[in-house]
Amino acid sequence: MTDPGIAAREGHLVLDGLVKTYPGRHGAAVRGVSLSVERGSMLAVLGPSGCGKSTTLRMVAGLVAPSAGRVLVDGRDVTDTPAHRRDMGVVFQSYALFPHLDVAGNVSFGLEMRKVPRAERARRVTQALELVRLDHLAGRRVARLSGGQQQRVALARALVVRPTVLLLDEPLSNLDAQLRTTMREEIRRIQRETGITTVFVTHDQHEALSMADSVAVMHEGRLEQLGSPQEVYERPAGHFVAEFVGRANLLPGTVARVAGNEAEVEVPGLGTVTATGHAPAPGDRGSVMVRPHRISLDAEAPAGSGAARGTVLSAGYTGETVAYRVRVGADGPELDAEHPSGAHRPHAPGTEVEISWDGAARLVPAPTPAPETAKPGDGAT
Amino acid sequence: MTAGGTGTGTGTGSDRAAPAAAPAVAPRSGPAAPGRWTPARTATALLLPGLVALLLTYAMPLVWVARMAFNEPLPGGAIRQTLTLGTFTDVLGDAHYWRVIWRTVELGTLVTVFTLLLSYPLALFLARTTSRWRGLLVALAVTPLLISSVARTFGWMAILGSQGVVNKTLMSVGLIDTPLQLANNMTGVVIASTEIYMPFAILVMISGFGRLDPELERAAASLGAGRLAVLRRVVLPLTLPGVLTAGLLVFVLSLSGYVTPRLIGGGRVFVLATEIYDEAITALNWPVAAVLSMLLLVLFGLVVVVYTRLQRLVERRVLGEGGTAS
Amino acid sequence: MRAGPAGRLAWGTLITVLYLFLLAPIIIVFVVSFDDATFLRFPPEGLTLDAYRQVFDNADFRSALQVSAVTASITAGLALLAGVPAALALSRLRFRGREAMESAFLSPLLVPNIVLGLALLVLFAPIPLTDTYTGLILAHLGITIPYVVRTVCASLAGADPRAEEAARTLGANTFTVARRIILPTILPGVVSGGVIAFLLSFDETVISLFVSGQSVTPLPVAVLQYVEYRSDPAIAALSVCLVVLSVLAVVLVERSLGLRRSLRSG
Repeated sequence: MTDPGIAAREGHLVLDGLVKTYPGRHGAAVRGVSLSVERGSMLAVLGPSGCGKSTTLRMVAGLVAPSAGRVLVDGRDVTDTPAHRRDMGVVFQSYALFPHLDVAGNVSFGLEMRKVPRAERARRVTQALELVRLDHLAGRRVARLSGGQQQRVALARALVVRPTVLLLDEPLSNLDAQLRTTMREEIRRIQRETGITTVFVTHDQHEALSMADSVAVMHEGRLEQLGSPQEVYERPAGHFVAEFVGRANLLPGTVARVAGNEAEVEVPGLGTVTATGHAPAPGDRGSVMVRPHRISLDAEAPAGSGAARGTVLSAGYTGETVAYRVRVGADGPELDAEHPSGAHRPHAPGTEVEISWDGAARLVPAPTPAPETAKPGDGAT
Repeated sequence: MTAGGTGTGTGTGSDRAAPAAAPAVAPRSGPAAPGRWTPARTATALLLPGLVALLLTYAMPLVWVARMAFNEPLPGGAIRQTLTLGTFTDVLGDAHYWRVIWRTVELGTLVTVFTLLLSYPLALFLARTTSRWRGLLVALAVTPLLISSVARTFGWMAILGSQGVVNKTLMSVGLIDTPLQLANNMTGVVIASTEIYMPFAILVMISGFGRLDPELERAAASLGAGRLAVLRRVVLPLTLPGVLTAGLLVFVLSLSGYVTPRLIGGGRVFVLATEIYDEAITALNWPVAAVLSMLLLVLFGLVVVVYTRLQRLVERRVLGEGGTAS
Repeated sequence: MRAGPAGRLAWGTLITVLYLFLLAPIIIVFVVSFDDATFLRFPPEGLTLDAYRQVFDNADFRSALQVSAVTASITAGLALLAGVPAALALSRLRFRGREAMESAFLSPLLVPNIVLGLALLVLFAPIPLTDTYTGLILAHLGITIPYVVRTVCASLAGADPRAEEAARTLGANTFTVARRIILPTILPGVVSGGVIAFLLSFDETVISLFVSGQSVTPLPVAVLQYVEYRSDPAIAALSVCLVVLSVLAVVLVERSLGLRRSLRSG
C-alpha cells in the first residue's frame, strides 16, 4: 500500500495509495487508491453509491483527511495542505451556493479570499459568468435560479479563481434528463476552453464514457480499472467493470488454449468459445463477455453458421431497440441480446435462432479469490 | 346557529370570523338540519372551551388592568373610579420612574448582549456536531429551561454571595483580600440572568440555524477561505436571523424578569418588574402599578417594532428580495 | 472543515466552560444540599442528609408542595380539555378567521407574566378569587393553554391528513378515524403538552405571587419568601427536589415520544 509503483509520477495530479478509514465503522471507505491524471485531461471516477468515490474526491480537495496515502499536484505533496490553501476548484453535488450572496457575490467570493483588487475582480467575475453564459443574471439571488443555472454559478465560482485542478462531485445528478445532456456538453466545452485538469465523480456510466478522457472505475473502496472510455468498455479488467459499465453477458468457463492475444475458453453448455484478451495459462478460470448489442440472432441462418443455436425466451420492445432473452441449446446458459428496432420483424418467443457475435467475445479474468491481497490499482498504468 | 354565533362573538374581535362563516352554509342546511356538522360549527364547538378559558384568564384581566391605569390612587390603598390621565402624568413626571425604566432597559441590553455572546458558540456547536451524544448535549443545554428559575437563582446566590463559591475560591487562592461585591447589585443580576436565559437563546438559535449547511463551509474553504473568513463571511450572515430572534426573546424576557432581580438584587436593583410588584402588593397603589405595566407593554411594542425592521433587513440580505421563492 | 489540534482544543475548552457556566447553579445547589452547616458555604466540610430531613419536616413546605401538586394537576387537566379540541380545530378544519384564532390562542405567550399577574390580581381581588385554589388554577390556565395548543398542533403538523382520508376510503367513520388515526397521532403531543402544562404551573412564580396569599401558597412562592430572609442548605435540598422533578418530567416526555416512535415502526 505504501508504494504501489505508479509509473505516471509525472502526472499533473497524482493520488498515491489513498486510504480512508472511519473510526467505529468496519472496513475502510477507501482502500488504497492510486492514479494519475494528465495535465489538461478530464478523469471520471465512476462507481456505484458507497464505493468511496466521493470520499476520494474530498481527500483530493482537502475536505477529508486521508488515513494513509498522499495527494500530489505537480509532484508537490499537498496532503497536509488545508483545503483553503490547496487551490482546487470544487463543484459540490448540492452546489453549496451561498444563499446570502447574489450570483456575482458567489462568484467573486474566492477572488475576495485571494485579495484580488476590486477592478480586476469585477472583470474576472464578468468573464467567468460569460464563460457559463450567465452574465445577464449577475445580480440575481441564487435562491431564484433554476437547477441548471445554479449549476453554472457553482462552475463559474470554482473556475474564476483559476484553480490548478477542478473537482466536480456528481455535478449533474440534481438535473433532469434533458438538462443533463446539455450540461454534459457544456462542462466538456468549458473544460476544453480552459484546459484545466478535471476530476469528476459520477455513478452514471454514460456521463463517464461520454465526457471523460479517462475513466477510473471504483468498487468497494478500490480502483478496479483505469483506462480510456473504450478500454473500460471494450476490455473490462474484471466482472464488476464488465457489468457496471454497460450491460454484459458473462459466461464463466475454463481457459483451454492460449494463442497470442486469443484464448479458447471451455464454457459449460456452450462449448469452446474463442475470446480476445490475456490469459496467463491454460486451466485458468475466466469468463467470456459479450455485449448484448454485439449478439445477432438470425432465424433464417442455417444451423452451425453462428456460434450456437438457441431459442428466444422473450422479446421486449423499448422503442429504439428490441431486447431479447435467448437460451442456448436445450438447457444451456441464457443470454441477453439487443437489436435496433425496425431493421426487421422481431423474433417471437419460441423462435429457434442462430446466435453469433463475430469475434466480439472478450475474456474477462475471474475475480481473485482473496480480494485483500489484490494490489490496488491493478488496472492502472 | 345564531346562538353559536353570539356565544363566541364576545371574545376578542377577531374570533367573530368563525361564526361569520356559518351563514354562508345556512341557506342550504337551514334550521331544518340543526344536527349537521359544518366545519364552521365544528370549529366553534371545539374552540369554545379554550376561548372561554382565555377570555377569563387573559383577555378580561388585561382589559381590567388597562382600565385601572386610568383610575386615581388615593392614600391608604383606596382607589377612585374615574377616567384620568393623572396617574400617567404623575409617573412620567417622576425622575424615580425614569431611572427605573432606564435601569430596566440597561439590564435588558446587558443581559441580551451577554446571553447572545455566550449562547452563540454553544448553539453553533450543537447545530454542527455529528457526535452520537448530540441528543444528550442538546438536552443538557436546554433542560435548565424546565427547571424552576427560583432554584437556579438560588444556585447563583450560592455562587455569587460574599461567602459564595467565587469569592471563597478567589480568597483562598489569594487573589483578593475582601469579597467582591457580586450579589445585591447589577453585576450579580446580569450574571445570573444571562445564565437563566441562555437555554431560551440556544433553543431559538438551534432551530434558526437550519440554513447552516456544512457543505457551504466546505465550499468556502475550497475557495480559499480560512476558518475565520468562513465564520465571518458564511456562518455569521447565515445565522444572523436566528441570533436576532434569540435576541428579541431574551430582551423581552429580561425586560419583564422579576425573580432574579429581586433575589440577586437583594432589594437594591429596581427594575419595572420589581417596581410593579412593590407598588401593587406593598404600596397597594394599583393605578401606578397598572401604569407601569402599560409602560412595560409599550416598551415591548417598541422592541418588537425594532426587531421586525431589523429582521426584514437581515432576511432581505440573507434570502434575497424578501422572498423564499423557489 | 478541518481544524488544527490547537484550534480544536481551544474550541473544546470554550464549549466545556460554557456548559459549566450553564449548569453551574444546578451543580452548586446539588453540592450545597449535602452540606452539614446551617448556613450557605462552599465547599462543604461535612456531608449529611439533614437538609433533606429539614425540608420534609417543614410543615410550610409540605403544605406548599401539596398546593403546587394539586394546582398543577388540575391546571394541566383543564388546559388539555380546553387546548386539545382547539388544536384539532386549528390544524384540521378550514374555516374563516382560522389564522386570527391561531394567534389569539398563542397570544398569552406575548404578555409578560408580571403584567398578567397584576392584571389577574386586579380582576380577581374584588370577587374575591385571590388566595383560593380556583383563582390560582384560573391564573395558571391562561399561560398553559397556549403550550398545549402548540404541542398538539406540532404533532398534527407532522402527520399527513391524507392518512385520515385514506382511513375514510377504507370504511372508517368519523368516530373510528378519531380513535384509530387522530388519537394515536396527537398522543405524544397531548402527553408532552400535559407535562409541560404541569411543569409550568408547578414552577410558576410571578403570577402566583400576585394571586396567592397566606392560605394557598404554592411551593415556588414559599421558597422565594424563604430565600429572601435566609439561605441555608435546606433550600438547596428543596431546589434539588424541584430539579429532580423537572428532569423526571422531561424524561417522561422523551419516553412517551420515544415509545410512540417505536410503536409506529412496529
